Amino acid sequence: MTCLISTEKLTALNDKYRPFAEIAQDLKEMNEYPPKFHFSAKDNICATGFQARAGSKILEGYRPPFDATVVRKMREANGILIGKTNMDEFGFGTFCTNSAFGIPLNPYDLERTCGGSSGGAAAITALLDKHVALAESTGGSISCPASFCGVIGFTPTYGRVSRYGLIDYANSLDKIGLVTRSVADLKRFLPVISGPDRRDPTSCVQPELRLDGPKVKSVAIPEEALQNLDPAVLRAFETALDKLSEMGIEAHRVSMPSLGFALAAYYVLATSEASTNLARYKGMLFGVRGGKIDQSFNDYFSEVRSANFGKEAKRRVLLGTYTRMVGFRDRYYLKALAVRQLIIKEYQGLMEKDDLIITPTMPFIAPRFTEIAKMKPLEIYQADFLTVPPNLTGMPHISLPCGYEDKMPIGMQLVAPHWEERRLLDVAERWCDDFKIRFPEVSG
Amino acid sequence: MKIGLEVHVQLPTKSKLFCSCSTSAEEPNSSICPTCLGFPGSRPSLNRRALEMGVEIARFLDCNIPEEVWFSRKTYFYPDLPKNFQITQYDSALGTDGCFIVKDKTIGIWRAHLEEDPGRIKRVGKSGEEVSLIDYNRSGIPLVEIVTAPDLSSPEEARIFLQELLVELRHIIGTTAADEQSVRVDANISMGSERVEVKNIQGLRNLEKALKFEASRQFKMLEAGMKVIRETRRYDEERKVTMSAREKETEEDYGYIGEPDLGTFSVGVLARSMSTTETPLRRAQRMAGHYALEFSKMRQIVLTSMPLADMFETLAQNVEPGIALAWTLGPISANWSSLLPRLDEQMRTDLASIITQVVNREITDSEARRRIGAIASGECPNDLSCAVEDELLGTIISAYIDEHPQVVKDYSANPKSANSVIGHVMQVAKGKYNSQEVVEAVKKEIEKRKN
Repeated sequence: MTCLISTEKLTALNDKYRPFAEIAQDLKEMNEYPPKFHFSAKDNICATGFQARAGSKILEGYRPPFDATVVRKMREANGILIGKTNMDEFGFGTFCTNSAFGIPLNPYDLERTCGGSSGGAAAITALLDKHVALAESTGGSISCPASFCGVIGFTPTYGRVSRYGLIDYANSLDKIGLVTRSVADLKRFLPVISGPDRRDPTSCVQPELRLDGPKVKSVAIPEEALQNLDPAVLRAFETALDKLSEMGIEAHRVSMPSLGFALAAYYVLATSEASTNLARYKGMLFGVRGGKIDQSFNDYFSEVRSANFGKEAKRRVLLGTYTRMVGFRDRYYLKALAVRQLIIKEYQGLMEKDDLIITPTMPFIAPRFTEIAKMKPLEIYQADFLTVPPNLTGMPHISLPCGYEDKMPIGMQLVAPHWEERRLLDVAERWCDDFKIRFPEVSG
Repeated sequence: MKIGLEVHVQLPTKSKLFCSCSTSAEEPNSSICPTCLGFPGSRPSLNRRALEMGVEIARFLDCNIPEEVWFSRKTYFYPDLPKNFQITQYDSALGTDGCFIVKDKTIGIWRAHLEEDPGRIKRVGKSGEEVSLIDYNRSGIPLVEIVTAPDLSSPEEARIFLQELLVELRHIIGTTAADEQSVRVDANISMGSERVEVKNIQGLRNLEKALKFEASRQFKMLEAGMKVIRETRRYDEERKVTMSAREKETEEDYGYIGEPDLGTFSVGVLARSMSTTETPLRRAQRMAGHYALEFSKMRQIVLTSMPLADMFETLAQNVEPGIALAWTLGPISANWSSLLPRLDEQMRTDLASIITQVVNREITDSEARRRIGAIASGECPNDLSCAVEDELLGTIISAYIDEHPQVVKDYSANPKSANSVIGHVMQVAKGKYNSQEVVEAVKKEIEKRKN
């Protein structure tokens, strides 16, 4: 049996679409017995045999001496890691334009973004038959690119999947999840990567993962989520709601005032944590080294950091350092923690009446790079207003393709209560029985 | 003078606070892993034993222990700190508002918390060509930090406080002399209105020296009409002076946030499940009260060792406490290093019966000392020895009477003839036996032969 995957084929694919930060140099194992499957890992997930640079120049040359728990589990399940997928530096971005290693392109239109920050993961899943990608979301980094690339993006409950081996962005928000081409793959690989791991204490409190359960009967639509949408997105979303209703899933309009605070709370918490996580990058022990070592420590690490962090990383370190400072800590960091609890309560309240909450995933279809270049940082942050809230709550969510506009895919996002992944799987399965997911035509 | 201390003690756990690396490596950088080097992708998980030890200490210090605790990140850039943040406890502590009594004075304890130690920097090379080497073996070793109120009023008192605290910790968590040498203290000292922090003083002796220097420096400044400025200084062990550290950071600039990777820990339940043990100095306090003896003597006993205190208490149940004390601090202490390894219930009973015999005037002091020495050297491990000794006394008497048979004849007419036998035995045995004991044994032997 000859395998269809080869380093040459992946390199050719990468030359055109650039989903990878690094490609496996030897894929002979794909042909060995027992049968193998291929998977990729976002570049912030550590794997032996590969660098782990998380889209950052500062991690150039870092070869982790260990496998992330998710990589170990996938390998033990006969998975072959074919490459590390490109991403925004440390996950800081919505369009994958903040990577130090090139910008991955949308498989449907090379002039458009594939989304971020797990852009490479979504792109390669759309491009490669039978592929499954390990991705990671802090504030929407799985849903967004899945929506822009027309594939399934699944973000489990915070604590469902071990983060051991994940290069941290914001530890209280980071979640490893999956990008897949089918619900069958999702149901196959979610149990593989889930489960308690003593190397990540936050994964040890989870109840057992269940794939089956009662059928979903109703979903809630927050009115606030339907404002400022691209008309094409709104049209596709409303058509999808009609189809859900035909499938016996009722939709109720609700109000969710706290949604308006989610972005602000998220950016305070995420950058506060990120600015401490990024403190360790100082040109010692791992990653790049500075040029002159005969200078004071402060000068040395400042030089290394100035030269090797990208613009968005610097912006978030500054923001996050500010929000933790004395005098601002109460006003920003502690307040954001309180807002997060409020939003969790609001979600929980709504899901006492309805099984799930549904919104479009992104307010627009994948934008062109020329359009992105004109966006201000705050406008880019605002593009996450539908994907950030569930991430802030730690609740599981899924982005499913729900329509197409001029060939470009549009996604819808469903959110379930903590640990109720099975509700998402139920809707996803019923949805995909009817809705035909398209894949881009690939020319090598 | 007001002195407050922040004492950092390494906990004697086998592995580090957040990873499984050994805490006892010698070769530099031989006990390290991705977690204690802060490699991207690594993650901490808490060493339960360290948490238990910390809670034991907080409980011992009579602290209020909360139901739940969590950890925080203290961010600052330093080459010995792999992550450039230290995992410590900020708005959560293992215990708060406790106290510790030193020489009848109550010293307030503001808080006790757990944190990780950074690596160790070593400067090597000639002056001007120095190189900094970093040993990360120490990175991640568990520390407990104990913060006192500014209740100490002299450098000497500060030293005694620390000394006594270490005695108690040795008993509670099993710290060793090596752990005690690694104790680091930040001391706040104020002679008037402004306080000065002297950071990173290592060991007991340096603590007193550093504080003495700093107190006299401040005193001289105030005498000269100068103002003491609030600052951080460090102690130079070689030159025995404190010097301005010119640090800009204040406590709050560390930008504390919660450590999201570790979650919360229920220490309230843990604390309630722990049994209380009596620490050496508290035991000394109790014994002094109970037996109406001097605290300093009781302290001397418990500081020698807790089993010696057990020995003393066994004696004090049989004889008057004052006598028990004299024998404990005298012959028993003198032989302690030989007695201790084999000390058990039987040996305690044997020693108690020897001293009871002295009190009952059955044997002399010197015989008692000899017997204690014999037990210590392992010659007669139990009271069988006494039978052997009695036989020996009988042998000396019989041998003398065999040679001087007229003693028995004379005895009926003049009982004083027995005195020659008694005198002989006393001379030969050189005070081994109590005189009364000898008199009785001689009379018994003569009576026996008369019949």
